[in-house]
Amino acid sequence: MTNPVSRREFLNLLGAYGGTSTVLQAGAALGFMPSSQAAEIALQANNGKKVAILGTGISALTTAWELTKAGYDCTVLEASHRPGGRMFTVRSGTVIDEIGNYQRCEWDNDPHLYFNAGAARIPSIHSNVLKYCKELEVELQVFVNESKTAWVQDDAINGGKPVRNTDYSSSMQGFISEMLSKALGDSHLDSSLTESESETLLSMLRSFGDLNEDMLYKGSTRAGYGTGGFLDHGTTKDVIALRDLLKTQLARNVMVTTQEGTGSGPLLMQPVGGMDRIIYAFANRLGNRIKFRSPVTEVMVKDDGVEVAYEQNGVTEVLKADYCFNCIPSHLMSGIPNNFPAEYSEALNYIRRGKAYKAAFQAKERFWEKEGIYGGISWVNAPTQQIWYPPHNIHGKKGVVLAAYNFGGANYTEMSQEDRIEDLLKHGEKVHPNYREMAEKPITVAWHRMNHMLGCAPRWARNRGGWSDKEEQMYETLRQPVNGRHYLIGDQSTQHSAWMESAIQSAHYALADLDQRVRSEPA
Amino acid sequence: MKKLLTATTLCLSALCSMASLAAEGDVGVAAAMDDRYCSTCHGVEGIGNIAIEAPRLAGIEAWYLKRQLENFRAGIRGTHGEDTQGIAMRPMAAKLSDESIADIVAWVGDWEYVPAKVTVEGNVNQGRTAFQTCAACHGVNAQGNEALGAPALAGQNDWYLLAQLRNFRADFRGSHREDTYGSQMVTMSKTLRDDQAVINVVSYINTLQ
Repeated sequence: MTNPVSRREFLNLLGAYGGTSTVLQAGAALGFMPSSQAAEIALQANNGKKVAILGTGISALTTAWELTKAGYDCTVLEASHRPGGRMFTVRSGTVIDEIGNYQRCEWDNDPHLYFNAGAARIPSIHSNVLKYCKELEVELQVFVNESKTAWVQDDAINGGKPVRNTDYSSSMQGFISEMLSKALGDSHLDSSLTESESETLLSMLRSFGDLNEDMLYKGSTRAGYGTGGFLDHGTTKDVIALRDLLKTQLARNVMVTTQEGTGSGPLLMQPVGGMDRIIYAFANRLGNRIKFRSPVTEVMVKDDGVEVAYEQNGVTEVLKADYCFNCIPSHLMSGIPNNFPAEYSEALNYIRRGKAYKAAFQAKERFWEKEGIYGGISWVNAPTQQIWYPPHNIHGKKGVVLAAYNFGGANYTEMSQEDRIEDLLKHGEKVHPNYREMAEKPITVAWHRMNHMLGCAPRWARNRGGWSDKEEQMYETLRQPVNGRHYLIGDQSTQHSAWMESAIQSAHYALADLDQRVRSEPA
Repeated sequence: MKKLLTATTLCLSALCSMASLAAEGDVGVAAAMDDRYCSTCHGVEGIGNIAIEAPRLAGIEAWYLKRQLENFRAGIRGTHGEDTQGIAMRPMAAKLSDESIADIVAWVGDWEYVPAKVTVEGNVNQGRTAFQTCAACHGVNAQGNEALGAPALAGQNDWYLLAQLRNFRADFRGSHREDTYGSQMVTMSKTLRDDQAVINVVSYINTLQ
């Protein structure tokens, strides 16, 4: 089945090979692992200052927790009935407060059966998330982000039947190695490398791709065995031809095992029992400082503080504070009267709201384990995109399967609940024939329509090329407190949205600024 | 305030089955949903929210709001695939009863009108000329005319007027066969020569109070 690739084909495929020297130059950065030391917070203590904190996303809770520890008088206002914003775990009894699509989760009441509808993974370099988990005694476990036995399904390959991740990735890895080793004979490439470097590279390629002595890929037992392997000699499985591998765009997902910006590869973590364990660890300690069902109705920055109007039980209250930390999504602040400067409002209105969508169901049985899958992700060329299998409670009775995760949201927001469910079942049963039969009580979360959120991770840059100068400028505008009193926090106030670590660091950044101000005030 | 609360409770009891919330962790949550969905999108006291593309409700005529809610509920508005804002609104209205529509209309009627910010700027003079056609139904000061079923335009968010005129011109709104007034607007909106003419007429409406 192997279809050898000629050098010309290889070069055509790669488009250009002048990139090698670029890669070598980039190597100068090797060894500089992005450092992410947990912050040491040492705020001025017991100064009697009063602080209003708007929202209960993790940036707000971080702020409230640190300030409370230092003796500040904090009041936290939350519009919703629950804390956490996009750190939202669904389990038995949870209300999914989607506008126009109210749902109540009726899964079995079992601590293993939950669905992290927002944040779901903690990388090991997200030191500040981990620091709070440790400090607040939130028990963590390993999250399995990649399983080589999970599936890759695309109607364009293998007649639409799913292929094991390992069959796909071993073959792809083999061909990449084979092609690159052929290219090493090319004088242009050779001139960039010393003989010793070439040898090292070749040796790595042989191993990376599991090439034979002729530096060709003829299959690998890394994909498991075709036959035997234990009592008998193992044979390799058939190789999937390169051209067949290239029929699916899913390669870009399957071949990447490390989440962007997380540094830590397939090793990720999750709190035992759901991501909101972190939220409730903060919230329980903050106690009645948090006022739920208290939507903010006005934010007025004054010379000597901030006045925040909010409603509770139908009555408008005004909270007067020395400082205000605000993690209300920027697109909701557009609908809340305020007296922010024009350029601050312009920057707030510029940030677009992300449109992510997730869905999950309780599975009657852990059917994936019967297919040799324990955690990890199956990739599907459909708007549902991903199927996640729970890495915890292995061999338990039931489990919750994440049945869709579309970071762009596709058009799920506009679909009815019935259509969303049919969609996830339709695409899922191409991967697992008994999927429909196994799925109990599906839940869907379209962040664009979640009450008090109306969006997922904020989007700053409008061009794929990165942040424009104007965007950088607006970002800096929002990082400066209005009148030294009002701080915008949350992942909207960072350049790497969608991660808890970013949100926490935005709080730390604002806290450092606050601390400097209060210390410099005349006694 | 009492009236407002009654309206809210009623309209929301129609929106969601009133299941009690389970407490998550040790933080207590109250027993029922009492959130005000309208203001999540349309802003505090219906001031409108450009970031959500949800128009101003404060100041809107009761009869017009009622008709639009009924149209959304019946699928006469908000079902065209390209009417993205209308699609966002439709699921909200789909579950309303006649009583909850009446409550919402009363609730919205309590909201104080605060002048909208100007965000659209075109050629006001050319807009004035073009507006003469509009004035026949909407009134010379764009104050609206219930007898003709034409709502007030003055005071509405200009970005919303722009979006709706574009929707009418593209048949994204008003093309439903039961949308009597909308279909008139489809015809009328097409008398505007091009998108610049649409911007101009909205700029002129901005000058009317």
